[in-house]
Amino acid sequence: MVWLLRALAGPVLWAALFSLVYALHGTGCGLGWTDRPVLFTDLHHIAMWVAWLAGLALHVVLVLTMPVGSGRARTVTAAGAWIGLVASVFTLFPVVVTSTCF
Amino acid sequence: MTDATTTLEQDDARAQPSVKAADIAANPPQRALRLHRELDEVWSDLPGWRGFFTSVNHGTIGLRFMATAFVFFAIGGVLAMLIRAQLATRNGVFLDNDLYSQIFTMHGSIMMFLFAIPLLEGLALWLLPKILGARDMAFPRLSALGYFCYLFGGTVIVLSLLFGAAPDGGWFMYVPLTDKTYSPGVNADVWLLGVTFVEISAMAAAVEITVTILRCRAANMPLTRMPLMGWYLLGTSVMMLVGFPPLILGSILLEVQRAFDWPFFDVGRGGSPMLWQHLFWLFGHPEVYIIFLPAAGALSTIIPVLSRTKILGYGALVAAVIGLVFLSFGLWVHHMFTVGIPHMALAFFSAASALVAVPTAVQIFAWIGTMWEGRVQFRLPMLYIMGFFATFVMGGLTGVMLAMVPFNWQAHDTHFVVAHLHYVLIGGFVFPMLAAVAYWMPLICGRWRVRGLGEAAFWLIFIGFHGTFFIMHLTGLVGMPRRVGVYPDNPEWEWLNLISSIFGMIQSAGFALFAFDVIMQWMFGRRSWRNPWQAPTLEWAMPLPAPSYNFASLPGPRQPDAGSILPLARGEGLLPGAPRGWRETVVVEPGTGRPQHVAVLASNTALPVATSAAIGSFFAMMLAGFYWVAPLGILATLIVAWKWGAIMGTDRDHPPADVAPGIRLPLHWQVRNTLAYTGAVALLVADATLFASLLFGVGFLAVVAPNWPAPESGIATWPMLAVSLGALAAMALGTVASRLAEQRRADPSLRVWTRLGLISTGAGLVLLGVIGVWLDDPTRHARDALRGATLGFAVVHGVIALMLALRADLDARTGRISAERRGAVPVWQLFQLFWLGTSAVSLALILVQEVL
Repeated sequence: MVWLLRALAGPVLWAALFSLVYALHGTGCGLGWTDRPVLFTDLHHIAMWVAWLAGLALHVVLVLTMPVGSGRARTVTAAGAWIGLVASVFTLFPVVVTSTCF
Repeated sequence: MTDATTTLEQDDARAQPSVKAADIAANPPQRALRLHRELDEVWSDLPGWRGFFTSVNHGTIGLRFMATAFVFFAIGGVLAMLIRAQLATRNGVFLDNDLYSQIFTMHGSIMMFLFAIPLLEGLALWLLPKILGARDMAFPRLSALGYFCYLFGGTVIVLSLLFGAAPDGGWFMYVPLTDKTYSPGVNADVWLLGVTFVEISAMAAAVEITVTILRCRAANMPLTRMPLMGWYLLGTSVMMLVGFPPLILGSILLEVQRAFDWPFFDVGRGGSPMLWQHLFWLFGHPEVYIIFLPAAGALSTIIPVLSRTKILGYGALVAAVIGLVFLSFGLWVHHMFTVGIPHMALAFFSAASALVAVPTAVQIFAWIGTMWEGRVQFRLPMLYIMGFFATFVMGGLTGVMLAMVPFNWQAHDTHFVVAHLHYVLIGGFVFPMLAAVAYWMPLICGRWRVRGLGEAAFWLIFIGFHGTFFIMHLTGLVGMPRRVGVYPDNPEWEWLNLISSIFGMIQSAGFALFAFDVIMQWMFGRRSWRNPWQAPTLEWAMPLPAPSYNFASLPGPRQPDAGSILPLARGEGLLPGAPRGWRETVVVEPGTGRPQHVAVLASNTALPVATSAAIGSFFAMMLAGFYWVAPLGILATLIVAWKWGAIMGTDRDHPPADVAPGIRLPLHWQVRNTLAYTGAVALLVADATLFASLLFGVGFLAVVAPNWPAPESGIATWPMLAVSLGALAAMALGTVASRLAEQRRADPSLRVWTRLGLISTGAGLVLLGVIGVWLDDPTRHARDALRGATLGFAVVHGVIALMLALRADLDARTGRISAERRGAVPVWQLFQLFWLGTSAVSLALILVQEVL
C-alpha cells in the first residue's frame, strides 16, 4: 500500500492545491481582497501566488523523493509525481496571467 | 518474480505476511469431478423463484445487473426514437411540450443512471473475481442489495412515465426549474428520490469493487502485475466513492427544500441555484470518466488478445488511469462556463479540461501501438473497437473545442453539445461494451455466436450512429438549442433533423439486431471450446460457461494464467474444494498480494431483498408525501440492518484453514484487518466526501450567494457551546471506550468498556437532539438550513455509531468477542472516530460563523 500511496502523492497534492487556490479565489473575491494593496499588487494575488508557489515547491520534493524501486513500480511512482507537478503548473498558471474577479 | 514485486515487498514489510512471496507449493491433484460437485453444492443458487430472491453469487448478480441494464437501455432507446420522431419535422405534433420534456429528461436519466452505471457495475461484479483469481466479490450480500435497490428504484422511475409523472426538468435537474415553485408536482421528486435510491447500488458497488481489487486477488499477484482491467476498475470505483456523494448530497438538499422548505437553493433566503450546479457537476463530469474507464479496461484487455501480442506501455496506461482519475475532478465548471464566472476561474477549468486530453491520448496511442506491433484479427469484438476509435476520438476532439471558453460560449446548450456527448458516451462506452459482450459471451453462456448477425448489427449501429450525430454538430452550429420540441420559425434546421431521425432509426435497428444475436447465441449457439480467443487472463482458466465457484482451487504463483486450467480444476491451486461446506476465498495484502487469511463469504439469503424493500419503503413514503411516517421506513431499515450484524461473527474459535502444503491461514473472524474493515474505510472515504461537499456548500453560499449575512442568530451562544462541548466529550469518551474494548477483549473488563461506549454514544446523541431543538428555524435562511443539515449529518452518524456500540456490547455479553475474535469493534472504532471528527469540524464552523 505504501507503494500505491507514493504513486498517488503527486495527484493528491494537485487536488489539494487546486481546491485551495480555487477556494482562495472565491473567498478573495467575496471578501474584497483585490481592494487591499500589498507590495506591487493586492492581497488576492499574493495569497494565490504564495499558495501556488508553495505547492509547486512541494511537488518538486515529491518528484525527487516519491519514485522507488525499478521497472514498472518506478515508472508508475515517477509518473504519478510528474502528473501532479505538470497538472499544478498548467491548471493554476492563470493566477499569474488573468484578472481575478471579473 | 519481477523487480516490481520486490519493491512492493520492501515497501510493505509491515504487512504481517503469513506466506513468503513466490513460494507456494502445489496441492496434490484430486479428481476434478469430485471437487466440482463439492463446490457446486456450496456455491450454486437455490432453484426456481427462490433463487431469484436469495442469490448472492457474483456471477448471477452481475449477469442480472447487465441484463436489467440492457432492458433499461432498450426503454431509453425507444424514448430516443420518440424524440427523433418529434424533431423530424419542424411542426411535429407527435408529442406535446409537457410529454416531450418528460421524454428527453427520462432518456438522459435512464441512459446515465439506469443503463451506463449499472452496466459497468454488472460487468465489474461478474468479471472481477474471475479475472483476479477469486471465488466471489468481497461482499456478496452487498451485491444483491445493490441489485434490488437498482431494480426497485429504476422500475419506479420508469413507471412514472406511464402515469404522466415522470421527471421533466432535464437530466441535470437545474434549480429553480425543479423547485416547488416551478415543478409543483411529484415529477422532480421521482428523480431525486428514485435516483438516490438507485445510487445506493452504485455506492455498494464502489465499495465492493475497491475492496475486491485490493484484497481478493490471486495469491502473490502484486498490483504491478494485476490485469489492466483491475487498474481501470479500481480507478472507476475510487471515482465513484468520491464522485457520487456530491450528487447524493445535492439530491437530499433539493428534496428537503421541496418537502420542508429549507432554502438551500432559494436566492431570496440566502441560497443559490449555483450550488446545485456545482454539486451536480462535481458528480456529473467525473461521471463521464466513471463510464469511460471500465470501457477502456475492456479495450486494454481485448485489444492485445485480438492483436496476438502483449499490451504496449502497461506502466504508461496505469499512470494514465491515475491521471484521469484525478484530473477528471478538476473539470466540472466547464459545464458552467456561461453562468457568469470570473475569468480566472474559467481559466483554471479550461486548462484542466484541455489537460485531461493528455492521459486519454496516451491510452489511444498505447492501443494503436499494440495493434501496430501485433497481428490484428478483425473478429466481431475488434469491429466494435474500430468503431470506438472512429467515434471516441472525434468526441474527444470536440471536447477539446468545448473546453475553450470562447467556443463554449457559442456552442453552449446547442445540439453541438448533444452531438459531442453522444460521440463521447456511445463512442467511449457503448462501442467498447458491445465489444466486451461479444468477447465474453462464450464465458457467460458457453456458446459461440451465430455467424454474420453480429457483423450486420455492427454496421447498422455504426452507420446509423454517425448518420444521426455527425450532422447534429452542424445542427448545433447553425443555432438549434437543446430541449426544443418544435421549431416553426427555423425551416433551415428541418433537413438536418430529418437526416438525423432517419439514421437514428437505422441505429435502433442495429441495436435490436445486436440483442437478437445475443439471444440467438445464448439459446442456439454451438458449444464453445475452452478459451476460444487464446487469451492469457485468468477468467479463461475455467470451464465454459463459468461455474458458480469460478475456480476449484485458487490461482497462485504456479497457476498464473489461463494455461493453468487443468491444475486449477484438479485442486493444485490454493484452498481446493469446500471442505468445511462454506463459501471461502483467500484474502491478500493489498500491495504485494501475499495471502493473509481466508474469508468465509455469505451464502444464499433473502436479507438483501428485504433490506432493499425496507429502504424502498422510506423512499416510497417520501415520494407519496407521507413525510411524518417516512421515519418508519428508516426504522424498518435499522431493524433489517441489525439482522446483517446478527448473522455475522461466531461464538467459537476456528482452526486455521489448510490453503497449500505448509500454509495454514486463519479464518476472517480471527483477524483484525478483514474485508469488512477495508470496506468500512472505503465507505468512510465516500462519507468524508459527502461531508466535504456539505462544507463546500456552507463556504460557497457564505461567500458567493446574495442576501448574506444571515439574520441575527437566536442561538444562545454560551449554553449552546456548553452542550456542544458536552456532546463532543461524550463522543470522545465513546471513542476511547471502543478502543479499550478491543485492547482488553480477553479481559473481564471488556463488558465495562462496551457498555460505557454504548452509554456515552447514546448521551452524545441526546445532546445533539438538544442542540437541534435550540437551532434557529431552518426555513428562515440558508445558513440556518445548512446548520440543520450539518446537525442531521451528525445525528445519522451517531445512530450508526450507536448501532455498532450496541452490537459490540451484545457480542461481548454473548461470547462472540474473545482474545482471538474482535467482532464489530474495529469498525465501531472507525465510525466513532469519524463521528467525533466531523462533529468537531461542524461545531468549529458554527462557532466561526457566530464569531465573525
